[in-house]
Amino acid sequence: MNQKQMDIPELQAALEKLHVASFGWALSCCRRDRAEAEEVLQTVYLKILEGKARYRGECQLKTWLFAVIRKTAITEQRKRLLRILRLTAASNPAPERNPFVAEPAAAFERSEAQKQFQSALRRLPARQREALHLVFYEDLSLREAADVMGVSIGSVRQHYERGKKHLRESLNREELDYGISWQRKETPDAVS
Amino acid sequence: MESAGSEKRLQTLFHELKLADGRVAPEFVWVWNRAQISPGSPRGFKISLAVATALTVVALSSLAFWWKNWQPTQRSNQAVVSRPVTPDLTPAPRLATPDPALPGSAAPNVLVKFARRNVKVVARRHRELNTTNVATQEDVSISSWQSPTARLLQSPADNVLTSLPQLDRSLTNLKTFLPDTPQ
Repeated sequence: MNQKQMDIPELQAALEKLHVASFGWALSCCRRDRAEAEEVLQTVYLKILEGKARYRGECQLKTWLFAVIRKTAITEQRKRLLRILRLTAASNPAPERNPFVAEPAAAFERSEAQKQFQSALRRLPARQREALHLVFYEDLSLREAADVMGVSIGSVRQHYERGKKHLRESLNREELDYGISWQRKETPDAVS
Repeated sequence: MESAGSEKRLQTLFHELKLADGRVAPEFVWVWNRAQISPGSPRGFKISLAVATALTVVALSSLAFWWKNWQPTQRSNQAVVSRPVTPDLTPAPRLATPDPALPGSAAPNVLVKFARRNVKVVARRHRELNTTNVATQEDVSISSWQSPTARLLQSPADNVLTSLPQLDRSLTNLKTFLPDTPQ
């Protein structure tokens, strides 16, 4: 797949294999907004079909595709923000969508642990969230994550370490608020 | 140890999240087909076209404004050059050309020179206007000038002196030219 240019049917087959991972990455780039992630993915496929995004075989297809998804998500977010500003100026602001309510199929996401985890993820700075997602979720190396994010490997390492620290702190805080601690859960003997 | 545990916990959470995302992900064919039938991105093109048009309009209007303001100054400069030189005239202003040796100070220099030249040109135009007014007044006074002794030359027989007898007329008619002559 590397060092190779593909025609559309070939690319379509490769994209199909990466589709679920692409959707997960699009969700992460869109702060877990499912509708927005679908729109971003559709725009990415459209870009590929129109030839606006062209895979030249200079890197892995997955890295290239993820970089395109990331850029498209940023552009779409900007457009959406402008649309919201225009709408706010014209009329009353639309109520903010709650992703948990908006995804009735995802009963799993209603579990407290996942809710806390996702809310902690959302609170992270975008770069840190992206670095964590690419490493933990997609099992990419730091080098590949740097290629996707368009930054140096040192920068990705920094985002990754800081992200882990912040996520850990955030989860600990939330679970303490909820009355549970990881430490106590993991080592129940320590609890008197 | 604690760090390794929490890292494992993070991995588990991310793995669970991945599984959940896999369950709610739309089908590839559905997204791909929607992308194929969507009408592209004409909005982006329209926005860029609108921006380009707006920029062109702004550039053209500023050029027109600049040209409108620039032409009278040029004309007045030409008038200054064509006018006979008088000793009290200030020297013609030099054109504001930025010094290429000073790239940083080029723009402010040009502005200062331009402002100075404008002030000079306005002053010169005032002077020209004053000079023209004086010349016109002098012309009017010369055309209506009368000698102070002109009244002494006037007499009651001015008509006789200013008319000529016609030789082909009869004597009676000739007599009519002579004043105080019974007809």
